[in-house]
Amino acid sequence: MSPHSDILSVFRNALNGGGLPPDLVLGAADEAARRLAVYQNNVAHSLIEALAARFPVIRRLVGSDFFAALARCYIEADGPRSPVLAEWGESFAEFLSTFPPLASYPYMADVARIEFARGRAFHAADALPIDPAWFSAQDPWSARLDLHPSVHVLRLEHPAVSIWERNQPGGEQVTLPAGGEIALILRDRSFDVPVRAISPGDAALIEALREGDSLGSAAGRARSAEPDHDPRDILIHLMRQGALITPEQT
Amino acid sequence: MSAFRSDKEMNMTEKSNSLCLAASLACVLSVLAITPVQAQDMEKCYGVATAGKNDCAAGPGTTCAGTSKVDYQGNAWKYVPKGTCTSMELPAQGDGAPRQGSLEPLTRDVPA
Repeated sequence: MSPHSDILSVFRNALNGGGLPPDLVLGAADEAARRLAVYQNNVAHSLIEALAARFPVIRRLVGSDFFAALARCYIEADGPRSPVLAEWGESFAEFLSTFPPLASYPYMADVARIEFARGRAFHAADALPIDPAWFSAQDPWSARLDLHPSVHVLRLEHPAVSIWERNQPGGEQVTLPAGGEIALILRDRSFDVPVRAISPGDAALIEALREGDSLGSAAGRARSAEPDHDPRDILIHLMRQGALITPEQT
Repeated sequence: MSAFRSDKEMNMTEKSNSLCLAASLACVLSVLAITPVQAQDMEKCYGVATAGKNDCAAGPGTTCAGTSKVDYQGNAWKYVPKGTCTSMELPAQGDGAPRQGSLEPLTRDVPA
């Protein structure tokens, strides 16, 4: 008799499309195969639903039938490695960009990057926002701010923020800008994860702050990325969302 | 000679640029010092989320957030700013009875 761990690994293999070895089956082999098919179908269906919950805009863009077929291919290519399904899907964007039937829809991967980053942001660690009073004791040039762990900046080749927006419930049919967009994704204080397009200067400022630059140096880098960049709007936006934290916290 | 002059001009431009930036940062900091973080105190409010927009807790067998089936589902909650749950305006129910949010789960608007 094989040890229990062997049985489990054979069963896992069978669930993922392999057959059950006959020596593991008591009773008629064809009946066992029919019963196994029920398990296989349940596993595949629940994974497809989990992926769709993570990538709702992709499902909306390709339609649910196409999505189910696509998800089966993805499960085979890079199924979950951990029981925590929220961590699954990091390679989905890359997978979409190499999936031949989607070759003429190159923006899909960027939309998937936004959706995966939203999940990351939702599950990111907590951090307390800066107390506004803290600023009055700071020198504007050398002040060091850090960003909430949920803050993600994605530089996208396609106008994927606009595509994401117009595929939200009640989203309006806006004209898509030409060229790429930069996405700012964060978890706000009411546990929503909004997505907004930001300018190259805003993105450079956020990335510099994250690398530990002082405010003055970060604002300078923002100006190199975008002449005449004014750091005011993006900093106030981040502050309102609770996304500015003191460096000691990280 | 002309190369020298243009270098000098560049330096002057850079200098005035960075002076501008320092002034604008000082201004930003003074604004940040009075910018409140939005929605700091939240509480769970039942019966106010539109379908699929709940933060958590719908019926048994659901996986929680985003699973409420009907608008204002009584057993699904959403985070709302503290103190606004029972006072927010909701459309009246089908029979004309008023609809109100609640800090406890409700039995109205629960799908069969």
